[in-house]
This record gives sequence, C-alpha cells and structure tokens, in this order.
Amino acid sequence: MNIITIDNVCKNYKKKKALDNVCLEIKQGEIFGLLGVNGAGKTTLIKILCGLSKKSSGTIVINNFDLDNEIDKIKEIIGISPQETSVANNLTVKENLEFFAHIYHKNVLEIIKELVDIFDLNEVLNQRAKTLSGGYKRRLSIAIALISKPKILFLDEPTLGLDVFSRRELWQIIKKLQKSTTIVLTSHYLEEIENLCDRVAILSKGELLKKGTIEEIKQSTKTDTFEDAFIKLLKDENE
Amino acid sequence: MNKILNFSKRNLKEILRDPIIYIFCLGFPLVMFILFQIINKYTGGNTPMFEIDSLLPAIIMFSFTFVMLTLALMVSKDRQTFFLKRLYSSPMKSYHFILGYFFVGLIIGISQTIICIVSGFVISLISNVSFISFAEIILLIITQLPMLITNVFLGILIGTLFNDKTAPGICSAFISLVGILGGCWMPVEAMGKFELFCRFLPFYPSVYIGRVITSAQNSLGITYAFDRIAILGLIPIALFMIANIILSFILFKKNMISDK
Repeated sequence: MNIITIDNVCKNYKKKKALDNVCLEIKQGEIFGLLGVNGAGKTTLIKILCGLSKKSSGTIVINNFDLDNEIDKIKEIIGISPQETSVANNLTVKENLEFFAHIYHKNVLEIIKELVDIFDLNEVLNQRAKTLSGGYKRRLSIAIALISKPKILFLDEPTLGLDVFSRRELWQIIKKLQKSTTIVLTSHYLEEIENLCDRVAILSKGELLKKGTIEEIKQSTKTDTFEDAFIKLLKDENE
Repeated sequence: MNKILNFSKRNLKEILRDPIIYIFCLGFPLVMFILFQIINKYTGGNTPMFEIDSLLPAIIMFSFTFVMLTLALMVSKDRQTFFLKRLYSSPMKSYHFILGYFFVGLIIGISQTIICIVSGFVISLISNVSFISFAEIILLIITQLPMLITNVFLGILIGTLFNDKTAPGICSAFISLVGILGGCWMPVEAMGKFELFCRFLPFYPSVYIGRVITSAQNSLGITYAFDRIAILGLIPIALFMIANIILSFILFKKNMISDK
C-alpha cells in the first residue's frame, strides 16, 4: 500500500525550478531513499512533505490525507530529523525529550525510557545538548523525531558529518526502526543508500531521473555498480 | 494551553541558562539606577530628572527594551538553529509559539520591574528620601504593563523578521531611540517643537504617566499631573501595543511556511 503519493509536484522560486513534475509513490513499511547532488531538490521535497514549505503545483497524499487540506492530521503522524542541528541547545538530553514528548501528549516517561535505550543515550542524559558530540546530537535528533511514534519518519542527511563508526551505528538503528515505521531518507552517500534503502529515487536539478530498487536501477542503466549507475544517469541528464 | 506552557517552560529554561539575561535584563537597569543616583549626588542633587521618583518610571520603561532584545535574540536564534522549523512540523500552531514566548517575556519584564522598585526603595532608604506608597507601586506596574507587552511582541517581531546577526543591531538602535524619545535621561521639554513628535510615540507618554504616579517633577520644577499629555498619550500607547500584537501574529504565521 502506498503511504505517500506525490503527483506532478512542482516547486518554483523566482528564478529557479526546485522541483519539476516529480511523481513518486512510497510504500508503507519501506525505507525509501532520495539521492542526488547538492541542489537536486531532496530537502525541498522533504520540507514540502512535512508542511514546512508550500508546493507550487501538484498533489500530495500522505496516509490518505491530502497535504493541502489536512496538514494538521499529517503533522500528527510524521516525524522529522532535519539536516541542521535542531534541538534546544541549553536543555539537557532528557529535557529535550520531555519537551517534545509533551507536545504530543504521549506517555512521557515510558517513551523517553524506550528511546534512551534504543539510542543508547543513558550516558549523556543529563548533559546539555550543545555539549554533545556530533554523533550524539544526531541520535538525539532522530530520537526526538520518534517521540510521537510516527507512521512516517523523514531523515534529512542523517549521517552527514559523522565518522564511520557513528554512521554504522546509526544505520543499525535505522534498520531496526523499519519494523515500526516507514522511513524516507535523503543522502549524498551512495553506500548509505545501498545499505539502507529498499527503493530509491534519484533527483537532479529538481527532476526525477530514476526510481526503483538498486537492482532495477543498475539493470536499466546497464551498469555493474550503483555508483556507476548514478554517475551515468547524471551524465546523460547533463547531455 | 499545555503546549503553550510546555513551550514557555522550555523558553524560560533556555533564557535562565544564558548569562546574557542576568547582565542585560536584570543587571543593567539596576546599574543604571545606581549610576544616575551617583551622578545626581555629584551634581549637588539639582537634577530633578535623576531623582528617584523621576528615574524609577523611566528605568522601568527603558528596561523593557532589554526584554525586547532578549526575545528578539531568542526567536532569531531558534530560527537559525532550525529548532523552530522542526517544531513547525509538529501539531503546534503559531499562537502556541507566540504565547510561549510572550509569557516568558512577561515574567522577565515583571521581574525587572520588581528589581527596579526594590532598588529604588533601597536607594531611597540610603538617601533618606521618601518612596512611593504600595498603592502607587501597584498603579505604576499596571500603567507600565502596556509598554512591557509592546516590547515583548516587538521582540518577537524583530526575531521573526531578522536573523541573529541583524536583530541585535536593530534592537540596539531602538534602545537608544527609546532613551532619548522617552525623555528618560534628558528632558523632552527642552527639545522644543520636537516634544510634539515624542508625544505621538508611546515611550514619552508611558514615562510621563509613570511620573504622574510617582509625583515627580520635570526639569522646570513642575510636578507631573494627569493632564492632556497623559490622557492623549494613552492613544499611542494603546495603538502601538495593538499594532505590535497583530503584526507579530500575522508575520510569525507567515514565516512558518516561508522558504527563508
């Protein structure tokens, strides 16, 4: 079943087309990757799906709710971990989790305990967010995104700037989350997309170049590796 | 209401853990009070503007501009760190945010006012001069509330419109203007026809009404009275307050789905 349907979505700025007739379907329970270079439109699309930016045209349906008319219902079922640092810096890890938990009126103590265990935040629970390492900040950010037990989780560049160990740890956590939530993640890293995603959409200059599983994309581009497929698609697009 | 109080609690924690609040919001007005008292003493006590009854309403009104600065910094920083953007994707509405910032501004402003009044009281004891009665204290606080509300919403507005690099500069310029146009440290009566311009803004009337309550004297030695200046002054006070409230709500909501 499709949990997100994106139909001919465009996003125009004054002189630029950030998204150009993008059509996508994201299935319930999958990890879906949005891949592209800088300026491809990945973050723009995520922001539109979360109601943080308005599309210029097209329709989006999320969990059978129309984005234009039922955004409040959509906000109840989504969680987002943005690319940028987006936690309350002067609050501790515990206070951050409590703050976000109270927004959703969830059983605060129970959900916090669960997330602290999943993301291994026990050691830093009483530390202020601004003093955390990059890896822990990311973990906190994703933990916050899960506070509402969302049906759909948006991860915008979840491992950007992390060392290889932290990245691998986060991958393990993201894979475990798939059991309970649909995940849409954006990334620059081909290895990350290959490791995590069931299906992928490749964007370039606001256009959808290709979508499908890694194997399907490799077959359609007649390449041996996903990296070669990605490069070929971009080259063909530029020509 | 839960979401508003939850957000207010977060804002209060953020502010109390930032040393700037103690320096600018709580400390600075106190320092100014003491400084002007020292100046007054060294000028032989001949400057009515620096007497406690004249200084108290001026410093209270002026101190609210630091509340504006604090809130402007807070809102602009929250925007810069994308903390607010994240919250925009939650079920929180624009009024949850605005009232969440507003209640914190109110708490800081009232705390400042109490500090100013206590400071004034202590200085009056030391200087062996009379201080205003409890009823006058309550009336003074009530009459200055509209300016506090105006400054709180103006802080939210500036933080919404400008980033954390630009907002402090704009606030600083505003703070300087308020000091002059409010007749806080220099007599507006000495500005000639410019005094009329000052009456159209809310700062001077607010200080004027405060000085009526404290029975202060102006630079000409005349005691402030609830005259035409005070009565007509209520109009710009009310208009500025309402305008700031409306603009804050409209522009904050617009900013929530802005691409900037």
